[in-house]
Amino acid sequence: MKKSYLLPLLTLLSLSSVQAADKPVITVYTYDSLVAEWGSGPKLEAAFEKTCGCDLRFVAAEDGVSILNRLKVEGDKAKADVILGIDNGLMEEARATKLIAEHGQVLEKLSASLKWEDKDFLPYDYGYFAFIYDSSKIAKPVSSLKELVESDAKLIYQDPRTSTPGQGLMLWMKAVYGEQTASAWQQLAKHTVTVTKGWWEAYSMFLEGGADYVLSYNTSPAYHMISDKKEQYKAVLFSEGHVAQVELAALLKSSQHPELGKQFLSFLISPEAQGIIPVTNWMLPVVDGIELPPVFSQLIQPQRIGFTATEIAEQRADWIKEWRSAASK
Amino acid sequence: MAQRSVQIIGYLALSFLVLITAWAFYGLGSVAERRLSWSVLVDAYIHQILLFSLKQAALSATLAVLLALPVARALYYLPNLVGKRSFLALCLLCFVLPSLILVTGLVALLGGSGWLTPYLGESWSLYGLQGILLAHCFLNLPFAIRAFYLQLQALPASSWLLARQLKFNTWQQCYLLEWPQLRGRLLTVWVFIFVLCFNSFAVILSLGGGPQATTLEVAIYQALKYDFNIPEALSLAWLQLLIAGSFYLLITRFGSSGWLSADTAKPQFLPKPKPVQAGLHRLSYYLAWIVLIAPLLALIPSLLQINAERLSKLTLLKPLLTSLGLGLIAACLAVLFALLVLSPIRQARQQHQWRRQWLLEGLANHHLLMPAMVLSVGLYVWSLKHLDLETWGGVFVILVNTLVLVPFATQQLKPRLFQFDDQYQRLTQQLKLNTLAYWRILMPWLARDLQAAFVLCLLLAMGDVAIFSIFANDDWMSLPWLIYSYAGSYRIIEASLVSFLFLLVCACLVFWLEKIKT
Repeated sequence: MKKSYLLPLLTLLSLSSVQAADKPVITVYTYDSLVAEWGSGPKLEAAFEKTCGCDLRFVAAEDGVSILNRLKVEGDKAKADVILGIDNGLMEEARATKLIAEHGQVLEKLSASLKWEDKDFLPYDYGYFAFIYDSSKIAKPVSSLKELVESDAKLIYQDPRTSTPGQGLMLWMKAVYGEQTASAWQQLAKHTVTVTKGWWEAYSMFLEGGADYVLSYNTSPAYHMISDKKEQYKAVLFSEGHVAQVELAALLKSSQHPELGKQFLSFLISPEAQGIIPVTNWMLPVVDGIELPPVFSQLIQPQRIGFTATEIAEQRADWIKEWRSAASK
Repeated sequence: MAQRSVQIIGYLALSFLVLITAWAFYGLGSVAERRLSWSVLVDAYIHQILLFSLKQAALSATLAVLLALPVARALYYLPNLVGKRSFLALCLLCFVLPSLILVTGLVALLGGSGWLTPYLGESWSLYGLQGILLAHCFLNLPFAIRAFYLQLQALPASSWLLARQLKFNTWQQCYLLEWPQLRGRLLTVWVFIFVLCFNSFAVILSLGGGPQATTLEVAIYQALKYDFNIPEALSLAWLQLLIAGSFYLLITRFGSSGWLSADTAKPQFLPKPKPVQAGLHRLSYYLAWIVLIAPLLALIPSLLQINAERLSKLTLLKPLLTSLGLGLIAACLAVLFALLVLSPIRQARQQHQWRRQWLLEGLANHHLLMPAMVLSVGLYVWSLKHLDLETWGGVFVILVNTLVLVPFATQQLKPRLFQFDDQYQRLTQQLKLNTLAYWRILMPWLARDLQAAFVLCLLLAMGDVAIFSIFANDDWMSLPWLIYSYAGSYRIIEASLVSFLFLLVCACLVFWLEKIKT
């Protein structure tokens, strides 16, 4: 019997030992839906590894805010060279960790409409937060955030403490409701099915029929039209406007391979990567002249509202407290 | 004297346990330098979750106790029920079952696209209070059934003879025989289940519907991992320690619950129930069967849906080996520690130093007072600054699991060791046995109890989620955590498959445990 204990132990030990690699390894912290087999991760990895002579490894957290939390926990001991997947709402808080190095990219490559000037964070895609519904089940969707809050439609959204869409909704509520946000959260809580840790959990649950609306992006219907050949999933256009998300990549100061890291950042805004991202991560490209599948022209084109990164960094902790107190009632 | 070295090792082991606790408290104490604000105590959100923690625990405990009573009575009054032994084994399995297996089963049965969901009406949702109560009830009802049944079994046959002579009617039997027998046990079982549910983690994490259904334990985890708000996590940990600790002290005042003992059914002079009563007893017994087995059976249909492509994407082997490895090491260590810390306790007992014995036992069992989460947070906060958790995470998972399991192992081994001392200690002293010879006599005597303690610890360690969630990072997985991540992203087929595999492992262990016990 004693021997039978040893076997799994030995196997465990042999599995955990690190395999020797001859190529330099560049590690990227990102969120889980990016590394899924249908996500951008595998394709970006294959394309980048063709030219870099390196081994690109993704390490996935549940969602964007979790990447930042992990970074805070690990400090300068972080294994990552690059982080991929925090957004404009988290930018200042990430900068405050003093762990971020300059990206060193020429910003003229980005499309002028983004007006991007930051030296530390590099955008790789963007989109607008939006609620998705199944038009085969709901004939007449809500037309504004206020209408959604006041309705009794079942909805799922993500936790603003871990997820960038969740944080997006928090900004959205604040932008629309201002001082009355707490009571609006309470009203919303009455018909919320659940608050999930990450985007993927929420979206999977919605597709299983768990709710009428799920918080996602204006670009999500493109995924269903192209990959699933399903037309019924649609985004709702809210009359108050939508909060935009610019997804960002950044190089860490603690990186062992800063040159490779910069090479990866430059690859991210190259036409090749920018062509991969919209049809795998289902967001819009940040450079001009990328040919998109025709269904992208059918997506809703929201008006942008929201806050600046500095405003968000100053208020985020208080807004989260407001949300959790109100939503727990 | 050879025994002295064993005593010294025993005291060392005891000091080690205490030192780790002190270390965790040191971590928790770093609150001061991190500017702990008392704001946690006036935060409306914290009040809400505290209230919710207490409410769900009280409701779960009440439900489990109320539902267990008719089933326990049925088992008692109808000794020849079909499948009774299997039922008692199932009860044991359900109680030690890693809770995420059950959660997966419940989701397959009652979740968004569950088998029974279409019959439950539009407004049904598994997430939130109702799901939590359901899961807690399922996990703890079997424990309550076993505890009440064994308590009823302890009714002396002479009482029933007397009752027959005095021609008691059913109500009098209930009031004069059953009630006095069960009265004390009812409260103990209730408080015990209350504490278990108050400290429940995996169920709340997976079935809690966001901030509306969060407990203190989950809030600690969230403060640490969602918010990276260390002062808040630390103050919540103190709060949890205070509440769970006081409730635990309350239980120990009432004495312990026998639930693991074998079914020692002897033919008794039981009154023959009237046909209607017998029918009701049978009904509650078979209902309990269905309710307990349904979530486990619900895992099976999903297994048939798995195809080669999905199967090939499952990474099963590594988490399975991780769980087994962590569990085996922690269980071995826990049993070893229990054996060691018991030697000074036994010595004190033999020398009739009751005070010292009481003190030593208190020290050996003090982790029962400390929720695993509190211990983990203390050590975690300390190691953030001082260690690379990537390398040390596994060590901490094993360490904290071991600490939490030592009291369980101690309780399993204690009675048998005391019995040994009473019967053979004098003889071994007269024979002047050396240490080796002494242990060679003791070990075969203790073999069954060692095995039982080991299996119980292994089951509990493999089911751990709370400790793992604190120290693990995204790069390695245990079996329960794998189930959590599959169930979380609603891949029920994968979650069911992993759960089913895990269930088989646990069922084998429970089968072994039942075999040892009888």
